[in-house]
Amino acid sequence: MTYDIIVIGGGLAGCTAADVLAGAGKKVALFAEGLSLHDATEGPASPKAQARSPYSALSALSAKGVTVFRGDSIVKADLSDDGSHVVRVFSRNLGDEPLVAGAFVLATGKFFSRGIISYMGGVFEPVFDADVEFEPDHGKWFDTDFFAPQPYERFGVRTDEAGRVIKGGIIIDNLYAAGQVLAGEPLSDEGIESSGRAAAMEIMKKW
Amino acid sequence: MQEKSISTANLEQCLKCNLCTLVCPMLAVNEQYPGPKKAGPDGERYRIKDPEYYDYALKYCLNCKRCEVACPSGVKIGDMIQTARIKYGSQSKIRGLHGLRDWTLASTDFVGGMTASPIAPVANAVLKTGVAKAVLHGTLGVDRHRTFPAYSSEKFENWFRKEALEAQAGFEKKVSFFHGCYANYNYPQLGKDFVKVVNAAGYGVELLEREKCCGIALMSNGFAAKAAKQGRINLESIRKAAGPVLTVSSSCTHMMREEYPEVLGLPNEDVKDRIMLLSRWLYPRLESGEVKLNFRKDFHMKVAYHTSCHMQRMGWQEFTLGILRKIPGLELTVLEPYCCGISGTFGFKKENYGYSQKIGELLFSEIREAKAKAGDSAPFVVATECETCKWQIEMSTGITVMNPVSIIAQALDSE
Repeated sequence: MTYDIIVIGGGLAGCTAADVLAGAGKKVALFAEGLSLHDATEGPASPKAQARSPYSALSALSAKGVTVFRGDSIVKADLSDDGSHVVRVFSRNLGDEPLVAGAFVLATGKFFSRGIISYMGGVFEPVFDADVEFEPDHGKWFDTDFFAPQPYERFGVRTDEAGRVIKGGIIIDNLYAAGQVLAGEPLSDEGIESSGRAAAMEIMKKW
Repeated sequence: MQEKSISTANLEQCLKCNLCTLVCPMLAVNEQYPGPKKAGPDGERYRIKDPEYYDYALKYCLNCKRCEVACPSGVKIGDMIQTARIKYGSQSKIRGLHGLRDWTLASTDFVGGMTASPIAPVANAVLKTGVAKAVLHGTLGVDRHRTFPAYSSEKFENWFRKEALEAQAGFEKKVSFFHGCYANYNYPQLGKDFVKVVNAAGYGVELLEREKCCGIALMSNGFAAKAAKQGRINLESIRKAAGPVLTVSSSCTHMMREEYPEVLGLPNEDVKDRIMLLSRWLYPRLESGEVKLNFRKDFHMKVAYHTSCHMQRMGWQEFTLGILRKIPGLELTVLEPYCCGISGTFGFKKENYGYSQKIGELLFSEIREAKAKAGDSAPFVVATECETCKWQIEMSTGITVMNPVSIIAQALDSE
């Protein structure tokens, strides 16, 4: 299956990016593993859609022509030989069907949605094995003051100034990160939305 | 650190977020049902401690798996509930008239094998009468609003051996066909359409050495041991078949791929990837150019696609939609994937009829809206891979429902 852009993640960042790209006439596919907590609690769209389906944001995207894969997630990616380009990805449900696109958005969130996964020895990003910024000393991950900002909240994937994901020090030129999966200060809802929009704008400039 | 869940169905991964509770179609209409979180991962912790905690309200689970589609943590909530029903609920006893009804509804091979014969027209006519419906309603508890799907006077298998088998020898490449009960006993045209499409794609069709009902109706009516027995026979036959084993029903497919191992404990890892719907097999071949289909130029149809619950769980609807989009003259809309409410045999029981119809109303109104929007410049049909959704939608809206395989067959240019 071939699309202009594949968005990985159906939360606020992924939905915003897909919305902007579809609005610009791009052929977009979005993979949403599960219903997003944001969609369930804040769901914008029309009051009618809200009353009918908890999937309000995803339903609105479907109505705009985005191909939404509910309950499916990207599990594997093929990069070009030099590691600078995503060629195709594969999903759990679609199996060996190659999913091809010009550009990809990584909007899989942080620990809760397993956009990044921690273990005693470190933190990794499960789809692309992208470079993750984290504190190597496990003892410094937490602040014992429960209400203080927690250092682990800043962990996330490393990107260049255009938001492109870096793996093994190499910039992947068609993979853009958006939302909480990004390293740095934890984002507000507005911050997440604007990072989704920024990824979409960068993609439209180049792809 | 704990790398993997130690219990089945990923129990420990549940974060108690309640997203499954939000999407459960049964909970929305029936407050006696505890909902997927409480019935699934929450209840399971108690049941592990003491089976006495089993709650008979779990019988209300439709097994639609919408909880699993919504779960962000990969917890197999629906499987957990089905497994609990088998493990702790009452099993395999035909008690009283309702027990007899459940057995009759579940035994598709036995009833279909008896009825899909020259006596079918008589049986169909009798089952349609008000008297028969009143009797079934009053005695067995089969809701009087329901009409049993008509039985065919000739089984698909018989037609295939008589009319189609010989022509299959002319094809070098072959696929196997798991036709399912509906195509065999009720609507052989669906099987014929399958053969037509596969032959047009340049492949021959073979039947399995032995095919039994996939067992989904047995499993959900409390006859798990019988379901597993049939499952073993099917898997055995599938192992003997060489290539892909293609299907036309989303529920049989989901049962054989997912519920055989997860709920019935029948390992299928060695053959799982070969069991799939026709569209899952056909679409990639059309895309790669290996298969070419010629469609009629004069085909006109407006199709509203309904994603059945098990299709949604498998996530394969884009394969079907991708093929339908290639048919010239076919105007496609995709309905919001709501549950139709029937859940196989569930909605046939008089105590469940009200819940079924309430759940389905969201879908029915979507369909009515789509039909109103479509106008009448071309025939309007609903397409879905599930035969029980078909009965429910046809009964509740009066609109024709077709399996996508039949739509593809009708659109083919057979010249």
